[in-house]
Amino acid sequence: MDDEMIFDPSLKKKKKKKTGFDMEAALAGEPSETTSAEVPAETGDVDVPEDDSLDLDNFGKKKKKKKKTFFNLEELESALPEAKDEAPPAEEPEHQDEELIDDLDLDIDFTRTKKKKKKKNLDEIFAEEDVRGGEEQERDEDQNGEWHGSDRDYTYDELLERVFDIMREKNPSMVSGKKQKFIMRPPQVVRIGTKKTSFANFTEICKTLHRQPKHLLDFLLAELGTSGSVDGNSQLIIKGRFQQKQIENVLRRYIKEYVTCHTCRSPDTILQKDTRLFFLQCETCGSRCSVASIKSGFQAVTGKRAAMRAKTA
Amino acid sequence: MSIQNLNTFDPFADAIKSSEDDVQDGLVHVRIQQRNGRKTLTTIQGLSSEYDLKKIVRACKKEFACNGTVVEHPEYGEVLQLQGDQRENICQWLTKSGLVKPEQLKVHGF
Ligand SMILES: [Zn+2]
Repeated sequence: MDDEMIFDPSLKKKKKKKTGFDMEAALAGEPSETTSAEVPAETGDVDVPEDDSLDLDNFGKKKKKKKKTFFNLEELESALPEAKDEAPPAEEPEHQDEELIDDLDLDIDFTRTKKKKKKKNLDEIFAEEDVRGGEEQERDEDQNGEWHGSDRDYTYDELLERVFDIMREKNPSMVSGKKQKFIMRPPQVVRIGTKKTSFANFTEICKTLHRQPKHLLDFLLAELGTSGSVDGNSQLIIKGRFQQKQIENVLRRYIKEYVTCHTCRSPDTILQKDTRLFFLQCETCGSRCSVASIKSGFQAVTGKRAAMRAKTA
Repeated sequence: MSIQNLNTFDPFADAIKSSEDDVQDGLVHVRIQQRNGRKTLTTIQGLSSEYDLKKIVRACKKEFACNGTVVEHPEYGEVLQLQGDQRENICQWLTKSGLVKPEQLKVHGF
């Protein structure tokens, strides 16, 4: 069982990576897939001009979209063999740090040792950008010259470059913004006796995330399938034995769903309750989307049978 | 020959049905629970009632070499219970057998 526990988080990591890239994959898949999806739609219209057929075509489109994103996921995965290989099954803290650094899908860091590497990364990126920018400028000048000289049409690539140059110029934070990370202290998880776990900095983490402790509490307990409460020292006592890494996994999922904006991934968001639904309002890009409500769902009876019978009787 | 497109067929019928009852969100929830000590339990909630869960549990028990049972729940319907952490196993098995689409699976836990 312990072996399983150790291996499990790394397995989950990989999984997460997949879902983490989902957005980008979907975005990347969109231009090509809309064009491909339009073809059957058009032929469908020609064959049968009924309204029903249109609906069916739309359905086809939906299905195609899903399929496409899956392909993209696989492609992405294969395109990122390093990241995958580097996820070690071992539990050493050093490795863990590395793993976290590689884990770009969620813009969260539970470590502070990371900064060094991040800086390096950023520097590299800037360096790359500089080089690229330089090249592009040169090319741009050439092209601009060409455009001015003749009255030929722009090529697609030229236009694309032009647009990106303007974007970089007007919005320099966008270039580095992608790597902007959300640095957070790791959860302090300590075992209490044999059956309980303490999440010591639970309240502190709630504060950093700007979320109600009750909301995070509900999520944690629902995901872990257990019970627990905040004690007088503002630490969370959870029934059951959990490792720091496991709590961290659940926290990552919480942040992904309820903290970072689903559109721009900015952590500067507000969670609002509207009638029965929760909405995530982004302060950076202004997007607003509904998020899943927290449901613990089915809970199996695990206690001793005798105790259970005594309760019901 | 019948023309399919002339049939009255509501492609959104399923969607309406699933949004009516809050519990069946169309997802299959795979959860893990800790039992006494180091033992765990995997529960699978939301499998379509069209499937014979008894048959599924029989196949799973053999495949994963673990015990399992089907529990009837008033709110969540028939729920599959398997001993140990079978989340990875059951997800693979359900998608491979074509019973559940990968995007329908929602895995919970640590
Ligand atoms: Zn946003």
